[in-house]
Amino acid sequence: MAKEGLRQIAIYGKGGIGKSTTTQNLTAGLTELNKNVMVVGCDPKADSTRLLLGGLAQKTVLDTLRDEGEEVELASIMKEGFGGTRCVESGGPEPGVGCAGRGIITSIGLLERLGAYTDDLDYVFYDVLGDVVCGGFAMPIREGKAKEIYIVASGEMMSLYAANNISKGISRYAAKGGVRLGGIICNSRNVDREIELLRAFAEELGTQLIHFVPRDNVVQHAEIHKQTVIQYKPQAKQADEYRQLAKKIEDNELFVIPKPMTQDRLEEILMEYGLMDTIENDYRI
Amino acid sequence: MPKKINLDIASVEQREQRLGTIIAWDGTTEELHRASSYEERGKRERGSGCGGNCRLCELSGPFTQGSVCSEQMVECQAGNVRDAVLIQHAPIGCGGGQVEYNSIYRNGLAMRGYKVENIRIINTNLQESDMVFGAADKLRQSIDDAFGRFQPQAIFVASSCATGIIGEDIESVADEKEAELGVPVIPLSCEGFRSKHWSTGFDATQHGILRQIVRKAPRKKQEDLVNVINLWGSDVFTPLLKNLNLRVNYVVDLASVEELAQMSEAAATVGFCYTLSSYLAAALEQHFGVPEVKAPMPYGFEGTDAWLRELAKVTHREHLVEDFIRREHERVKPRIAELKEKLRGVKGFVATGSAYAHGLVQVLRELDVTVDGSLTFHHDPVYDSGDSREDSLGHLNEHYGQVKNFHVSNRQQYQLYAFLQENKPDFLLIRHNGLAPLASRLGIPAAPLGDEHIAVGYDGMINLGETILEIMAHKKFHDDIRRHVKLPYKKWWLEQKDAYILARQPELAAFDAEEYRKERKEAAHA
Repeated sequence: MAKEGLRQIAIYGKGGIGKSTTTQNLTAGLTELNKNVMVVGCDPKADSTRLLLGGLAQKTVLDTLRDEGEEVELASIMKEGFGGTRCVESGGPEPGVGCAGRGIITSIGLLERLGAYTDDLDYVFYDVLGDVVCGGFAMPIREGKAKEIYIVASGEMMSLYAANNISKGISRYAAKGGVRLGGIICNSRNVDREIELLRAFAEELGTQLIHFVPRDNVVQHAEIHKQTVIQYKPQAKQADEYRQLAKKIEDNELFVIPKPMTQDRLEEILMEYGLMDTIENDYRI
Repeated sequence: MPKKINLDIASVEQREQRLGTIIAWDGTTEELHRASSYEERGKRERGSGCGGNCRLCELSGPFTQGSVCSEQMVECQAGNVRDAVLIQHAPIGCGGGQVEYNSIYRNGLAMRGYKVENIRIINTNLQESDMVFGAADKLRQSIDDAFGRFQPQAIFVASSCATGIIGEDIESVADEKEAELGVPVIPLSCEGFRSKHWSTGFDATQHGILRQIVRKAPRKKQEDLVNVINLWGSDVFTPLLKNLNLRVNYVVDLASVEELAQMSEAAATVGFCYTLSSYLAAALEQHFGVPEVKAPMPYGFEGTDAWLRELAKVTHREHLVEDFIRREHERVKPRIAELKEKLRGVKGFVATGSAYAHGLVQVLRELDVTVDGSLTFHHDPVYDSGDSREDSLGHLNEHYGQVKNFHVSNRQQYQLYAFLQENKPDFLLIRHNGLAPLASRLGIPAAPLGDEHIAVGYDGMINLGETILEIMAHKKFHDDIRRHVKLPYKKWWLEQKDAYILARQPELAAFDAEEYRKERKEAAHA
């Protein structure tokens, strides 16, 4: 089980918002701060550690369990990635069959039994797909596991809907399990007044916009090369953005029970910040 | 007209949705009949507004004792088709009932003169990774194994809570295997959580049979064949129906797949209990044109006369029936008179399935046995045909008078204790396990009616009377038991008059940790 002082962090956010990219880049930043980090991908697609490992080289926990039974060796499911990160992919069923939620429960249980949570770890990150759709996807934030959550969002409306929804899931578990929201990470989509919108949204939730990660094509370049930005181009400005995010998370002291807003209030905020009066009728892209 | 049964989709519609089934109620049979408004309900299309769709009020409390689930009813129906196999696509624990159902199946085969053999139920033994990845391949393999080992004429596949939650696509695998193997492979949707009452499991099996086994284009009409929807009871229908020149096609239990297929060729369908037969009989009429005999159930003189007359009418044998009825009355009445003498002053209590209990109370009253109390495991305010002639509770009230202490209680032993205190019967009629031991501990002999046909027809009155005398002869044995056992209830419950107090005052069930600790301490010192 987790040792005292180990920080277990779950990253949530709307599908496709950039959770895996952000998680891997920020963990790369944490390794530069000499932190020992484990990343647990909780997505059946098993692509949460691709950039740290230089490709999808990893056999997932659940595939291993299925092929080899309960006698699994930790070494066969945990691989070392960039900066000494320990990378695990939970994996899951093919789309449309079985139960991915159950898969997360099973694989986290197995990791605990196999002693993956060693005393030298400083951080465990759970990169969870999409929304908290059922009990399985809430597994990383149940009692005894992740105590901190960061939600990745952008100025796009649907990502904020999702973030608000995820906050509802967090409040449910906050009372019992002690899980807290550490902040919103903006993965910018270059939407108008994005930073103001995200600040207002975070404030309404009772949390903070912990970092605004600007949009930069170097991220895509690094991804094509199966690397984090910090590895691919350490001198790039974007690499510094992720280093800053890592530092802010390391120093973060603001952990709150979020106050999810009503649909009406969320839409009010979107109306207030999401549209610029001066270009109201300008639909150029 | 009531809504037509939908055979286009693979899942059966739950009983509470179709019929408004309830599982807890307390009052008189007249009150329950009024509240059920059978006639109104039967006339209106379900889902078309109040009357057809209004919920019958039900007691609901914070405590319930274990019971059974729909899947188990599938085991005891689909599992009892002689040349079929049932696969439970489930974790192994769901196979716990196989032992019990095997003994019932073997007894049934013996009673009907078939070769005694073991029940053929296979469990896919789902495990953790099957939940995560789905277990379609495991199911395919089990179907192949079942086919290779038993050469069945049909394979039933029962779902479970586990496969229901993960949305396992049993239907697709069944379709694929049916095409490959050339025998019906029938998915049955019977997840325990789908319905609050286990009788939905009967309907699930019957739904699958109607969709995939019953011949859609009958080869010939068999004008002397009657489908008798039964379980595994002794063969009382063959001699009975022979008097009307009719042959019996027993379904679903102990039937062959061919006997199930020929249901569409029959002249009529009857049952011994509307709880069991409601869905299959109504669907055979609606979809295959086989008339359901709509009459009171064949219990007591009133019920049996009416049932025979309606059967004769449907099968065009009116010329045979009156003479038969007259002869039968003459034959059984002297013996019934003797039994009445012996049973004078005796008081009984009936604790069985819903419609069946209505029938048993009728038989007891024919024998002049006093019945002030009864419990049924559920209550259907209407049956699938919606026809008032099937209103079994109404028939009981009208022809035999009401039962003043009538309880709907889904196998809740703790409540049965209070019912027995209230009614103080000399004996108990039961059919389902788990209730007789409590009666015995109270010194009350119980007749476990393992043969559900015992009380059917004219002979049924004699059979039941003799059975009661037989079990009453064990009274001293039961008194001995009573003197030597201690009941598990607290003084509070032992003195409780209202069996539904927890439903009426749920705060009483709140857990008091302090009191619990005190009791544990006292128990340890005792």
